[in-house]
Amino acid sequence: MAAAPQTVEELTRAAPRAPWLAAILNFIRRRPLGALGAALILVMVAAAIGAGALAPYDPLANDYAAMISPPNAAHWLGTDAYGRDVLSRILYGSRTALMVGLGASMIGATFGSLIGVASAYFGGRVDLTVQRIMDVFFAFPVIILALTVVAVLGTGAGNVILAIATPMVPRCARVVRSSALAVREMPYIDAARASGFANRRIILRHMLPNVMAPILIMATAFLGEAILLEASLSFIGLGVQEPTAAWGLMLRGAAVEFAETAPWMAIFPGLAISLAVFGFNLFGDSLRDALDPRLRTQ
Amino acid sequence: MGLYIVKRLLAMIPTLFGVAVLIFVLLRVVPGDVVEARYLTQGSQFQSQELMNQERAKLGLDQPIWKQFTTWMTGILHLDFGLSMWTGSPITEEIKLRFALSLQLAIMASLFAQCLAIPLGILAAVKQDTWVDYAVRIFSIAGLATPSFWLGILMILTMLIVFHWVPPMVFTPLWVDPWQNLQQLIWPALAVGYRYSAVGTRMMRSAMLEVLREDYIRTARAKGLWLKLILTRHALKNAILPVLTVMSLEFAFLLGGLVVTEQVFNLNGLGMLFVQTIAHRDYTMTQALVMLVATFFLFVNFFVDIAYAWIDPRIRYR
Repeated sequence: MAAAPQTVEELTRAAPRAPWLAAILNFIRRRPLGALGAALILVMVAAAIGAGALAPYDPLANDYAAMISPPNAAHWLGTDAYGRDVLSRILYGSRTALMVGLGASMIGATFGSLIGVASAYFGGRVDLTVQRIMDVFFAFPVIILALTVVAVLGTGAGNVILAIATPMVPRCARVVRSSALAVREMPYIDAARASGFANRRIILRHMLPNVMAPILIMATAFLGEAILLEASLSFIGLGVQEPTAAWGLMLRGAAVEFAETAPWMAIFPGLAISLAVFGFNLFGDSLRDALDPRLRTQ
Repeated sequence: MGLYIVKRLLAMIPTLFGVAVLIFVLLRVVPGDVVEARYLTQGSQFQSQELMNQERAKLGLDQPIWKQFTTWMTGILHLDFGLSMWTGSPITEEIKLRFALSLQLAIMASLFAQCLAIPLGILAAVKQDTWVDYAVRIFSIAGLATPSFWLGILMILTMLIVFHWVPPMVFTPLWVDPWQNLQQLIWPALAVGYRYSAVGTRMMRSAMLEVLREDYIRTARAKGLWLKLILTRHALKNAILPVLTVMSLEFAFLLGGLVVTEQVFNLNGLGMLFVQTIAHRDYTMTQALVMLVATFFLFVNFFVDIAYAWIDPRIRYR
């Protein structure tokens, strides 16, 4: 127990500091890199939410009088080959990136962890079969699997989310399964089984909450990766389609062709991708260290 | 050990069969086929149905699905991947040069990544929680965050502006003109290698940190051994295994995973071919590419496991 404040100064200094503020300050002090990541994520979320108010122009509006104009007072980050404002498109692009990132990592983590937990719970032949099926998916490079799913489903943001979630399912399932194997041996699972609970209830109510830490860690790690993958797919023209504002899409076509004369078209969207993914990775690392020290080596 | 090797090799068969079934079914779920794709590109989509059916019959697409599958499988068992549905030339011929290009790029990126990752990882671990550690970590997380295609664009841009260098349009194989070839591939290798080194650096750092806490390191320190000797003789030997595993698995994925980088540097490798064949609905070629990449991955995996058992006497399999 801390000593009671003795002087007036100590009293006044301790009083206004809210507990959540103290927690935040503590986090910043103990994990400066994680705090930097969180700050970058906050900026991105703010940009996505406030894009309508923050963006100086409509991200889809063409201004043929100001095509490929360098950064100036009217267009802070310049315009692209269709005269669209780069800054506005980057701000709106954060919506696409967040939507695809969150959607893909949530779908991937949900299905992956359900499969992982169920596989560990049932064990035996079920586990073996599931693992062999996962092995098949593992033999595909991530981008090849995502491209194949895009080929099946077609392009567009919704399909891209599914395409990116697909390679994440087996990855998540494998990690969650190894944690769930330990949980399965816990006495409370035996107790739940002895009480005659249905398998579904044991898996969802008893096992899943106890492997939440690795799931959360995987989901944050996926977020950054999903944003990167979305940018890659959009860049080769098999992701989000024009005229939607998406960072990978902004780097496509004219941005490369005119890179020498109009470098702003290639530099800023890429910077946005890197900073966003950087933020999620930093935050994810700190989260991992904080939640589960055992996973540090992975 | 011999039995283990045989077992591992046999275990690859069901996985590869699963990959084959998966890609075969996935491709055929998509509406449209190579015949439609061809007429669409020729701009005359209103070809008579009869003509299109004739084309399909020529390619064997009129056969029932199971028959197409067994034909393809028997072909594979004879190491015959058939003809490309799009170009009509043998798939092995089409893939050969591109495979050489992608493999060379993967090897170069891998070499660069290891030269960067291992020293940086050790340095970060030894100087844990100092500014050196922080700098290395930021450098490696930035590597994971930077899309290699963007890094590629920036490299080309820099060279255009500073050196007025334009990436060549035609690829020169290593055996034709090594100097020209290296000039061409060094930049994509660096762009990919940076990201790839980040994975290794992080692994090296954490593995090293774990090993440095072991009793035998303390003993070595206590008896006054030179730090450099402890690091290279005692610590590195024990910490390098997981790093090599992670890096070899990443290497296996590089072969088919360079889709986007190849696009930026205008390299006609396996990744570029994959995007084209998917667009063309060229079933036979897509299938062959996926099988090639998956087999490569499984074999790298296999060699890593064997190497593990061979290097580390604690891990001896039944």
